[in-house]
Amino acid sequence: MKPFFNNKKNRSGLVLIAAMMLFNVWNVIMNTPMVPEQHWAQKIFYVHVPSAWVGFLSYFVVMVAGILFFMKKDDYWDLVGLAAAEIGTVFMSLVLITGPIWAKPIWGKPWIWEPRLTTTLILFLIYIGYFMMRTFGGHIERVKRYAAAVGIIAFVDVPIIFVSVKFWTPEIQSHPQVEMAQQPSGILIPFLLSLSIFTLLYVLMLKYRIHVIRINSRVRADV
Amino acid sequence: MFFTLLKKELFVEFRSREVTLSMLVFGLSIILTFALSSNVSPTIIANYAPGMFWIMVLFVAVIGVHRTFSYEKEFDAFSMLISAPIDRGFIFLTKWMSGFIFLTIMEALILIPFFKFLMIDFPLQPWIAIGTTLLINCAIMAIASLVSGIAMRARLSEVLLPILLFPLVSPVIIAATKISGSIMVGDPYSFWKIWLLIILTVIVIFGLVGYTLFDFITEE
Repeated sequence: MKPFFNNKKNRSGLVLIAAMMLFNVWNVIMNTPMVPEQHWAQKIFYVHVPSAWVGFLSYFVVMVAGILFFMKKDDYWDLVGLAAAEIGTVFMSLVLITGPIWAKPIWGKPWIWEPRLTTTLILFLIYIGYFMMRTFGGHIERVKRYAAAVGIIAFVDVPIIFVSVKFWTPEIQSHPQVEMAQQPSGILIPFLLSLSIFTLLYVLMLKYRIHVIRINSRVRADV
Repeated sequence: MFFTLLKKELFVEFRSREVTLSMLVFGLSIILTFALSSNVSPTIIANYAPGMFWIMVLFVAVIGVHRTFSYEKEFDAFSMLISAPIDRGFIFLTKWMSGFIFLTIMEALILIPFFKFLMIDFPLQPWIAIGTTLLINCAIMAIASLVSGIAMRARLSEVLLPILLFPLVSPVIIAATKISGSIMVGDPYSFWKIWLLIILTVIVIFGLVGYTLFDFITEE
């Protein structure tokens, strides 16, 4: 199997996405307007929200891969599930880091039990369990089935967790991005651009990770 | 087939009393720990009592559900069970129902020590409290039986079970604490209706997901 970036299409994708990410950082710092009450803290939302979007998208991919793994009995979907779970957890970690960075200057404390952050934390913990299952589960073929099941259950549980946490802390205000559609174009367009670039980055990362995991499993099988 | 399997679960348990006895003793130990570690006014204990109660139930449920699945591992009984020509979804349903029955028996035995040791008044609407507790038990056991079915044959199953279960069951624990807290102070139904809906949603969704997935999880 050839290295992933020997492929011209993958290499061009990497260069293009790296350039777009650099442009995105420059655009967010230099061109987006300052929100009066939030100043620089607001800029973190151009990273925080796309990270959350990619994280949840990735966990959705884990669920779909789990269903396809059970239906088609094809190990490829197990690789997709594992790769998506890893990338989703990386982005969820970013959400859990950037959320408190924004919250400290705005709410005065780094953590309050805001529904979306709490849902993210719970999902993150479920996926820690998922990786422990993958690592310590024992029999490799059984672990694939268990991991697919956990991926499905975790995503099914998300709306229930979100609703319960929302009603648990109704007094806690929502993030301002709820009204993102009503924001002026100076904020909305860079935000949508950032969201698109993060999504492209996710697609490239997923392809790369599937490639690496596939090589790893082949090496293990040969050993 | 469902009733045959359920009869088997209940027969094994009533002969050995392993699950209910270990749940009961563990539950009493937790109550003792709560009582000794919360040397504060009865008002404060009353505020925290619903949370304490459901934390205890969750810990006890882990013990119970782990035991009901792990005795299937002895003499490889589970492999024989799944090689039988039955719908494996029924295995999940019977584990869920038997777990629900064992948990309810344990709670019935432990309720009086819980209220007396922690010096809490009994709920103002006992029948509503009993009804909602049964539904909450059903929701906890739906998730616990499914997760235990997944973790049972994994290595380190006793570690993986609580690690996977606790975050997944968190909406049920929030809802259970809110419902019990409201009933303890006599709030009207409209105050805790949403929490009851969350519990019912969990029962329906995890019941269906468990029934569907169990066939795939238990494949050899």
